[in-house]
Amino acid sequence: MARLLSSLSELSLTEPWLVADGLSRRYRNGRGVGPVSLQVRPGEVQALVGPNGSGKTTLLRCLATRTRPGTGTVAWFGQPNREQARSRLAVVFDATAHADELSARQNLAFFGTARKIKPDLWEPALEESGVADVADDPLARLSYGMRRRVLLAEALVGDPPLLFLDEPTLGLDVSGCQWLAEAVRARARMGLATCISTNDTDFVEEVASTVCFLVDGNPVRNSPLGDLLAELGGTREIKLTYRGPSPVAALGRVSGVERAVQAEGGIVILARQRDGLLANILATLGDLDANLVDLTVRDPGLADCFLKLTGRSLHD
Amino acid sequence: MTEHSDLTLSRPRPQAVGAPRPRPTQLWQLELRGTLARRRALLIKLLFPLVLVIPLVTTGAPPFFAGMLLTVLIAMVGTVGTGVSITRARGSGWLDRLAVLPLPAWRVGLELFFAGWLMDALQATLVLVVIAIAARPDPATLATTWLLALSALAFSGAIGLGIAALTDHPGEAMLYLAVVLAPLLFLSGLFTGVPAEGIRYWVAQVLPFSYLDEGFQLLLGGNPPYGDPWGFLIAALVFMGLSLVATAALGRAVLGRTAS
Repeated sequence: MARLLSSLSELSLTEPWLVADGLSRRYRNGRGVGPVSLQVRPGEVQALVGPNGSGKTTLLRCLATRTRPGTGTVAWFGQPNREQARSRLAVVFDATAHADELSARQNLAFFGTARKIKPDLWEPALEESGVADVADDPLARLSYGMRRRVLLAEALVGDPPLLFLDEPTLGLDVSGCQWLAEAVRARARMGLATCISTNDTDFVEEVASTVCFLVDGNPVRNSPLGDLLAELGGTREIKLTYRGPSPVAALGRVSGVERAVQAEGGIVILARQRDGLLANILATLGDLDANLVDLTVRDPGLADCFLKLTGRSLHD
Repeated sequence: MTEHSDLTLSRPRPQAVGAPRPRPTQLWQLELRGTLARRRALLIKLLFPLVLVIPLVTTGAPPFFAGMLLTVLIAMVGTVGTGVSITRARGSGWLDRLAVLPLPAWRVGLELFFAGWLMDALQATLVLVVIAIAARPDPATLATTWLLALSALAFSGAIGLGIAALTDHPGEAMLYLAVVLAPLLFLSGLFTGVPAEGIRYWVAQVLPFSYLDEGFQLLLGGNPPYGDPWGFLIAALVFMGLSLVATAALGRAVLGRTAS
């Protein structure tokens, strides 16, 4: 805590800690991301959300000092110097790269020393992440999920003012996701900033304060989570699976339906709640000789918001 | 982490669980401990040069051929070990993790290099020990040739690091290494000897492999034209220094490249 307070005392708590201005990074094949402009302030949890290939990881790597942007600028704590910024940030990439023959304690000792974290904070980090019992086993013997927990512990230790997480819930079980969500929320309460790239919308809804939707490398929307969810008021998500010809086009014309898209495992429909909606949908399926296999109706979430705004499913 | 071994067929063998282990706080310590923990790979790495050197020195192979083979061995150990392990480390995401730490790139480059060089140096030392036992050479020549071998390993390691800055694929790195090493070994006079004058003479003077080749020949009873222990000593120190500078300079390029 003393280290945290001393670290924060050197930083402005009113200015954004991360500012990207017109950031763009494109590869030779035209894919990539940008231009994107965003700011992350102390205590904020910024989520970058989009389907595979939307550029969220490329954006996160630029923001996390790993990759230089092609155009545009990034400033960390008011300075554009990447090397200087690294003493105040930590990054979790999607790959679980470690010295696998060595133990979690040995790996943490290296990363902790490199980031100048006091040794008395290492052990609590292992305990909080749930790996203390196996912290002397070689990582090669641990499950993928446990190695992900070690990776997260190495980043969370010492409470870095700015934390970048790429697909943080990958490989974590339910309790692991809950632990991580609580850790991110605790960081926000302490005034620390976190930037997350993921398409796990359940996790984002639990922790994020601001969400940036990306499609084909372009930011579609960057708004507070509450504002995005409020836009879905009165809307329902209907997911159906079927056999036979695809009824997606016809369903899109049903009265009350706002969006109907083909998604993994069936069709996702966003529709305004109104009398006769389900009957109309079933009638449309019947007209097309499409056999209904399953149908679920639920309150919409961030994934539905993405669908409504972009016309694309996060999981297609 | 980088698997600094030119023989990586064997799976990592984790250490047995037991008493708390020493905690590596520096990158070179972490890398070195990782290598030492892969016991079977380590054993093969240390023993395989002996498969070459023992027959060479015990069967009276001509010093010219023996020197050439042992120099090629040293050059390959240094370049392939570093080049392939660094490209593999990039592919696994290990370099990504190192690149975002608050450590200067030159230091990361030097530490990655140093951990691998230590193991390579152990291999080279075993080769020299076998020669010392079998050929009973002049101690001064043995000592300077040993230093030359360490310096040639550093030079080859720097080449491997340079190659690792150009490609992300271990197979491609091997190809580049062959393309770079083959002419260097030829110009070092390994296959034809060094002419007494002309541009090839001068080129050979600035390549550590030419000195190392002559050192091995001297140890094995040959009579190379330019063999001079004092010259070897100076060459070893100069090439070692140059290799370290090159390695530090290459650190940024190696870390700056991201996996495609």
